[in-house]
Parts: sequence; C-alpha cells; structure tokens
Amino acid sequence: MAMLEVEHLRKSFGGLTATNDVSFRVDEGEIVSIIGPNGAGKSTIFNLITGVYRPDAGDIRFEGRSIVGKKPNEIVDLGIARTFQNLRLFMYLSVLENVLVSQHHKMRSTWLSAVLRTPAYRRQERAARELASEKLAFFGPRLMSFRLNQPVLVLSYANRRRTEMARAMATGAKLLLLDEPSAGMNPKETAEITQIIRRMRDEGGYTIVLVEHKMNLVGEISDRVVVLDYGQKIAEGDYHTVVNDPKVVEAYLGKKAETDEGAGAGPRETRT
Amino acid sequence: MTRAVRTPTALDDVDPQRRVRNAALTLVALGLGIVALWALQSVGSTKLTQALALFAIWGVATVSLNLVNGTLGILSLGHHGFMLIGGYTTGLLILSEEARGRIESSARSTMTDETLAISVANLLRGLGLDGLTTPETLWVRFLIAIFLGGLVAAVAGLIVGFPSLRLRGDYLAIVTFGFGEIIRLSASTRVFAPLTNGALGFPGIESEFGKSVWWTFGFLAFTVFVVSKLKYSSYGRAMQGIREDEVAAEAMGVNVAYHKILGFVISAFFAGIAGGLWVSWLGGVRLDFFLFQLTFFFLVAISVGGTGSITGVLLGTALVVFVRQYGDPLEETYALRTWAMAGGVLLLVASAALLGFRTLRRLRPRVTPAVLAVAALALVVLLVAAANPAFLDGSFRGFGMRAIFLSVLLIVIMIFRPEGMLGRAEFSWAGLLRERRSEPTDEERRQDAWLSNPALNADADHARVDAAPDAADAGDARTDREGGR
Amino acid sequence: MSATNLRPSSRSRRWLPWLVLALLAALVVARMLYLGSVGERFNAAFFTRAAIDSVKLGSLYALIALGYTMVYGIIRLINFAHGEVFMVGAFTTYFLFTITPYGPMAAVALAAVLAFGVTRLVGFFRASPRDPVVLASGGVAFVALAWALTLGTWPFWAALLGSMLATGVLGITIDRVAYVPLRTAPRNSLLITAIAVSFLLQNVGLLAFTNRQTPFRPDTPLLTPIALEVGGNPVPTNALLFAIPLVTAVLVVILDAFVRRTRLGKAMRASAQDAETAQMMGVSVDKVIATTFLLGSMLAAAGGAMWGLNFGSLNQPAILGILPGIKAFAAAVIGGIGSLPGAVIGAMVIGFSENFVTALFPRTPDFAGITEFKDTFAFVLLIVVLLVRPSGIVGEDLSEKV
Repeated sequence: MAMLEVEHLRKSFGGLTATNDVSFRVDEGEIVSIIGPNGAGKSTIFNLITGVYRPDAGDIRFEGRSIVGKKPNEIVDLGIARTFQNLRLFMYLSVLENVLVSQHHKMRSTWLSAVLRTPAYRRQERAARELASEKLAFFGPRLMSFRLNQPVLVLSYANRRRTEMARAMATGAKLLLLDEPSAGMNPKETAEITQIIRRMRDEGGYTIVLVEHKMNLVGEISDRVVVLDYGQKIAEGDYHTVVNDPKVVEAYLGKKAETDEGAGAGPRETRT
Repeated sequence: MTRAVRTPTALDDVDPQRRVRNAALTLVALGLGIVALWALQSVGSTKLTQALALFAIWGVATVSLNLVNGTLGILSLGHHGFMLIGGYTTGLLILSEEARGRIESSARSTMTDETLAISVANLLRGLGLDGLTTPETLWVRFLIAIFLGGLVAAVAGLIVGFPSLRLRGDYLAIVTFGFGEIIRLSASTRVFAPLTNGALGFPGIESEFGKSVWWTFGFLAFTVFVVSKLKYSSYGRAMQGIREDEVAAEAMGVNVAYHKILGFVISAFFAGIAGGLWVSWLGGVRLDFFLFQLTFFFLVAISVGGTGSITGVLLGTALVVFVRQYGDPLEETYALRTWAMAGGVLLLVASAALLGFRTLRRLRPRVTPAVLAVAALALVVLLVAAANPAFLDGSFRGFGMRAIFLSVLLIVIMIFRPEGMLGRAEFSWAGLLRERRSEPTDEERRQDAWLSNPALNADADHARVDAAPDAADAGDARTDREGGR
Repeated sequence: MSATNLRPSSRSRRWLPWLVLALLAALVVARMLYLGSVGERFNAAFFTRAAIDSVKLGSLYALIALGYTMVYGIIRLINFAHGEVFMVGAFTTYFLFTITPYGPMAAVALAAVLAFGVTRLVGFFRASPRDPVVLASGGVAFVALAWALTLGTWPFWAALLGSMLATGVLGITIDRVAYVPLRTAPRNSLLITAIAVSFLLQNVGLLAFTNRQTPFRPDTPLLTPIALEVGGNPVPTNALLFAIPLVTAVLVVILDAFVRRTRLGKAMRASAQDAETAQMMGVSVDKVIATTFLLGSMLAAAGGAMWGLNFGSLNQPAILGILPGIKAFAAAVIGGIGSLPGAVIGAMVIGFSENFVTALFPRTPDFAGITEFKDTFAFVLLIVVLLVRPSGIVGEDLSEKV
C-alpha cells in the first residue's frame, strides 16, 4: 500500500525551478533513497513534504489524504517526521529534553494540568520518557547514561546526528525523512548508521525516505532509488538498475568535475 | 567504587529516594521563610517592609516577563503596558467611595457617572452579596479586582501575542515595545479617559495589600509556582524548543503559534497582577507610574540574574529593588571634590577589574590600551581632586545616579557575562547538597571512550554492527578488551 | 527609482505602489474639498501650513532615520540609543552657541573630546592612528577648540558643525565601548545593551545638561520670518521652511555620494550584504562600522540642532530623544530598513501622517479631532508595516532560509 504519493510536484524560487514535475511513491515498510548531484532539489522535496514550503503545483498524499497546505506541525501529527541536513537541534536542551520536545504534540493534558501535575499528566510524561529511552536505545548505550542530561551543545557531531534521529523517531511518525543522515561521519560511524537505519525499518516499523550522497550507504539499504537532476526525476528503480542508467551516469559524471563530493558520485558501483 | 547517589535516569529527574526528603526540606525552608518575614516585618523599619513588598511585586513582574524573554526567547518590551492595564483595572475596581466622590466633584475629572459606578462592590451588590461589601471584607474585593485586572491584561497579551506569529527577533521586540507605548499613550486619550481619568489618574487607593509582605509574597509564591511548574513541564520544554530553534520545533510537531500565544497570555496575566499590586503599593494610579523605565528595570533584573533561571531572576530583582530603595544616598548633593574622588576611585576599580577579567580569561595581551587609558584617566581625576582647585568648590546633586548605575551594570553584564549571574543554574536541593552529577563516572567514561574510539573496539566492530549493539553486548566486549590489556 | 540601497533587491508588481499612491491622493483631495465646504477655516492656507510642517518634520525624521537604517543595514542592530544620540547632538549645539556655563574646565574637556574626534576622523584617511599628521591635527584642533570655546558665543553654523563632530565621536565611542565586545553575541543581547546605552545617555544628559525645558533661540538668519500668502491668506513661516529640507537634502546627497563613490562607501555596501565575506575580501569591517556610527550620529546631531530651531525649545534630556528616535526608527522600517532612500521616504510618510493627516481630521463642532492620537500613528504604522510587509516600501525580504 502506498504510504506517500508525490505527484507532479513543482516549486520555483524566483526564476529558479527547484522541483519540476516530480512524482514518486513510497510503500509502507520501504527504504527509498533520493539521490542526485548538489542542487538537484532533494532537500526542497523534503521541505515540500513537511510543509515548510508550499508547492506551486502538484499533490502530496500521505496514506491517501492530501497534505498540501498543512502546517509543518500538523504534518507531524499525521505521521511524517524529518531530520535536517545541517542539524537543527535544541542546543541548550539536554539530549533527553530534545527527544521529549518531539513528543509534546502527543500530550493530551492541557497546560493547566501540566502546571498542577495531575495524575493524567504524570502518566503521559512517564510514557514519553519511556519512549525516549526506547528510541535512544537504538543507538546503543552511548546516549543513555550520563549523556542523557548533557546539553546537546557538548556532544560530538555524530552523537548530535543520532540525537536528531532519535528525536524524529520519538514523534510517533510512521514515515521518516532523513536528510543526509551520514553527513560528517567517518566510515565506521557511517557503517553503523547504515545498520541503524535498517533496524529502524525492521524493528521500529518505520518507512524511510533518505536523501544521501554516500553511495555505499544508499546501495546497501535502499529498496528503491529515485534520482533527481536539476529538479527533475531522471530515473527510478532498484539501486543497480539506477546506477547503470546512462542518464544517471551522465548526470553524475558531468557534475563530477565540479563537485568536491568524493563520496558524492557513485564511480565505484558504476564501474562494476 | 560505590556511589551513594543514583544516576537520574530518563524516567526521573530527581532521585526518587530523595523525593520525600526534598519535600520536607522545602516545607522547612518555607516555614523558616515565613518566620524570617514575620521577624523582619515586626522588627524592621517601615522602609524595610516596603522594600520587601516591592521586591515581591517586582518579582511577580520579572518572573512573568522572563516566561516570554527567557523561556520563549522572545524579547518582550511591553511589560509596562500590561502592568498599566492590570493596575488601572484593579485601581478602578477597588477605588473607595470617598475617592470616587472626590473625583466626581473635581472639575478636571474626565470620568462619567457610569464609569465611576464600575467597582467590585457594586458588582457584588448586584449579585446580592451585600455581606462582602463591608470594610472588613475589602480583601475579597481586592482579590476579585486583581484577578480581573490580570484577566484584562491577559486579553491584551493575546492581542500582542499575534504579531509574534509573523515576526521574529528584534522586529518583534520593537512591536512589543510599540504596543506597550500605544497602551500608555492611548490611556489618556478621550477614548479611554472616562475609564482612566486622563492624566489625573485616581489617587487614594488602599495600600494595605501592596505594602503587606504577606499579600505580596503570597502572590509571588503563586507566580513562581505556576511559572516554574510550567517551565519544567512538557509545555515549558516545547517553549524552550521554540527559543532554541523555531523551525525545528515546528518540524517536531510543536504548535508554535499556540505556545507563543500561551506564553504571552500567561505572562500578561501575571503582569496585570503585578500592576494591581504596584498601584496598591504606590497608593494611587497615574500614567507616569507605568513608563518604559519600568520594563527597563525588569530587563536589568532578569539579565543580571540570568534569563535561564527563575532563581537568578529573583536574585536580579532583589538587586534592582535594593538599588532603587536604598540607593538614594547616590542621588544626594555632595561637594564636587567628593564626586571627583569617587569618580577617580571608581575608574581605578574599573581598570583593575578589566585587568582581572583579562587575567582570569587568559586573554593576551593582558594590559590593553583600554586598561591603561582608564587607569590614566583615574589618576588624572584623582590628582585634580587632590589638588583641590577652585572650580571644585561647588556642589552637585547626583540626580538619576541609580538609573545610571543600573544601565552601566546592564552593559557590563551583557559584555562580560551575557548569561547573567546564575546562567541556567536553578536552585534545587540536589544542587545545594552537591548530589547532582555533572561528570560521568569512571565506568561511564571508559564505556564512552570505547564506543567512540575505533582503535579500541575495532575487533568488535563487525559483530556490533551486524548484531544489535545493545548495552550488554558492548559491555561484554569491553570487559574482554579490558581483560586482555 | 535610481536609488542607492545598502541591500539591493528585485521586486515585482511595480505598478502597485503608484496605484495606491494615486488612490490616496484622490482621497486626500476629496477630503480637503469637503472640509473646505464645511468650515471657512479650512482653506488652502490651512493645508499649506500643515504641508509645510509635515515636510519640515519629515526632513528632521529623515536625518535621524538614516542613522538607524545604516546601522541596521550593516550590523543588524536596532540602535535604541540613536534617539539619545540625537538628544546629545541637540544639547551640544545649544551648549556651543550659548556662553559656556561650566567655565574653562568644561571647555578644555569638550575640546579634548572634539580633538579626539578630529584625530579619529583624520585617522580614517591616514594609515595609522599614531601617524604624525593625525597627532598634529589633533593637537591643533585641541588648542583651537579650547580657545574658541573659552571665547564664548559661536555662530549657529559653527555650533552645528562642532556638535556634529562631537556627536559623531560619541557615536563611535558607543560602538567601541558597548557594541564591539558583542559582535558575535546573540542579537537579543545586543538589543538589550542598546537599550541600556539609551537609558545611560538619558540619565547622563539629565545630569550633565539640565533637567528642564530649554529655550533654543540662536541668533541666526534662518529664523527670519517669510511673508507667504496662499489664496489671499497669510501663512506664517520663516526661512527654516527652506533651510531644513535643504540641509537634509544636501546631507543626504553627500551621504549618497559617499556610499556610492568612495572606497569606504563601497566597503560599507559590501559589508551590508555580507560582512563575513567582505572581511575575507580585505574590508576592515570594524572601520566600516565605526564610519557608519560616525556618519549616522553626525546626521542625528544635525537633526537635533534643526529640531531645536524648528520648535524653539528642547525638552528635558530624558524625554527629548525618545519619541523622535522611535518615530524615526518607524520611518526607517516603513521605508525599508537598510535602504537610504527608504529612510527618507518613510520619514516623509511619518511627517505627513503626524501633521497633514491631523489637519485632514481637524476639530470641528461635531468631531473632536485626532490631534491627541498623533503620537500613536508612528507606532500603529510601524506595527502594520511589520505585519503586512516587513521589508518596507523599498526594502529587502528578510525571511529565513531553512
């Protein structure tokens, strides 16, 4: 069953068309990667799905219902959560608090019962904390002990990425949009995050869409890959079909000279 | 190595075993506080009682202002406007019959018979509760009036909150300032003059509540209770999320509009209550009791104390109130020579403090031109004062010295310690008794180093990545490594 | 509009403003004709007088607004203290053209401040502040100024120039002492500091100048009355009618030329667009910011002096700067903050809203007039513009990028 359907999506900024007639669908339980050279409009698609931007044309349906025109927080209520390419954590809040903020929208108690600490509020707070530990446990014990009450400010880059993913998971979303989850991580950490994304799907039951530059990560976990170039979809299919598609090769090799993204292109896989 | 203190886990902020003890300690502290207040009130002078009451009143205002400024992260500069609304509402509602008579007979009054008839007493009479209109039950009427004042201010807060949905940062600060000034400027225009008595205001408001430490500290306790419980609840976390990153908060499902408006409304409600207490403390209502200066003093209090901490805000308020109530020696007339001496000494101290600061922060070079310039200026001033030339014969009144002191204090704090005295530290028993852990245990440190260092756990890498890396696995692997070493 | 924006931006729907303007003009004319039919008093002379007052006031606001807009354009700070800088400018002018009431010591102190200003000013165009030319010019300026100050009366133009210089130095000093240490701090801290500086200046002004209304009547030909007649009715006015807009226009043209033609001006525009990149390209951003404060404060001082001339007296220091300052800020926002012509346009809008609009709704037998609300117009306009079009009339879009 299609969880997310994107149809003929278009968005332009001034004279620049960032997304032009893009359509794809994501089925429940899939891991779908969106790849493409820098500036291909990958992050714009995330911003359109999560309601940060409003599309100029086209439709986005989540579980059969159109979500175009809804505000970002309403879209989270429906069950889509995201991470950001350049990390937007609450820097002075602790790891735990970060993961609790993302559960706040599920809170049924009013602010007055929160002030009075009614039993119903306490129950919800406790449930939220249990869920937070559960989601943080995905990343092993490293965020669970003393780091729990440290402000995010003092964490390493990789730990911040993990916190952000835990935060998105804790929203209770069914669909996670991960914007470059491995950016700034070393190969070992990338390998670990690859496994974690797989476990998020297998054990957590999330459906996952990711934007990624590191091809080994994409190739390892994606069920399907969507390739964008200049705002247009140029290929879709399983990883090996896509990377051997002449249009994709051209888009990447044509771009390769201009970008510094060592891991950006997929030369290793294309050669095979 | 055994530790008496359990780690606070994700489930409990406070060690559950200590919860009962902490509650008991709080009760004892409250009792001691009440005894101390009683002692100060009965032994101390009227001036001290007034200063204490003023501290509590301004504390209500600063703690509520900090809900918007500190927790929500929106610089609000219109607090004096909300206080004005609360103050005028309370004042009008509890104005005594004699005072109303005086206003009615005054030729310059702009109030009408209808507006003069607005009072809690009349409201209660209308409800048939004549028993509550006697002089002995004035406190009931005062409570009703101040609550209504808070509500009216909260409605204004709702209106002022709406621009916060579209604007951010300094633009929003200016809009709140603009609203505050619009409220103040329009209070004397003919639209509101029948309610506010124009520029005259209403003199003769009962000050038995505003000058009583019990009433004011009661309201302060109520405010601190509500604001701190709110701040450390899920709602407060959402507000802090908005402060840290509005876009991210929205992307994590926080209804930014609702929380901003909620913050403004609650803040304005308590500002209205502070306004009601303030007019009672002053014993009258007039427009110039609600100048922007008031918000400025609150801003000094919360910035000096620390916007991240309610304890800090109260500390800052105490300082500002102390300067306001006990700083009048600064504003008296002294010989010019005395002023010059004091100025020279102050400059010398400033120079030394600057040097000390640079030493403490290990800034190089330690002696900057600024340090030298200030020191040289101090020397010149001191030498001139010591020479006692003819032009230093006069005397000079230090008019406005308290405001100057507070402004300089604010600038210095902003430059050298922008997070305020307490920063984000909040008072807690665990903190006071040094039970809070800020450092990891040796155990945790080892585990963390193992997890994040590829050289240490290279062997376990493969197993860990394929199998689920849970705590037990990692722990085992670590013991192996440790054993092998 | 071939205007010099500190931050240029593209804009669609160019016809819309003109349409709005034409509609407004039609409404105003209709209202004037209607009022003319209601009362004898509301003749052409009445409205001419209102228009004259509006232009004068608008020009004064423009001089202050330029300082706000330049500073905001470059360091994104609403310089709350700018209204107080204006106040200091007004009082320094007053202080300079009246006989020095504080004796020779004050004269020496003031001369020292002014001479320091001269060294700073010359220092901008010389390589180093320890350059002999700089030191020499400072020394000469100090001796000359101290001598001139002890002489007593200055002509108004000299007082104006001296005050501009002194206030310019004050502007740089404020930046150095209070804002430079906070360059990388959160913007709220900077704004709070600016508010603190504003309070400090108010109270120091109260202490140093006076605490009451001060008459401001220098001996200058600018105050000679002009006989003006419109439609057979006299309009009482004086040479200030031309002088104030003229001074504003000249200063704005000089400023515009400075920003567009000189190296420092180009550095200013570059810093306004992207201070970090400008710094990497070799622009000394600190120098640029200091220049901005210098120029803005000088213009504000000129505005202060003209303000005194226009109203014949100065309010006490604690309140003189507040309302003009905040109205000029509103003007800068309405015009589009960061844009020099925007500031002038916005100032004219505020000037007209305050005088001409009140004249359009005067006190008549069945209506009490709107004069008592005129101080709130600027705030209401400010809030409306911020909510409807935060970029102002000619400004840039300030929306955040995700």
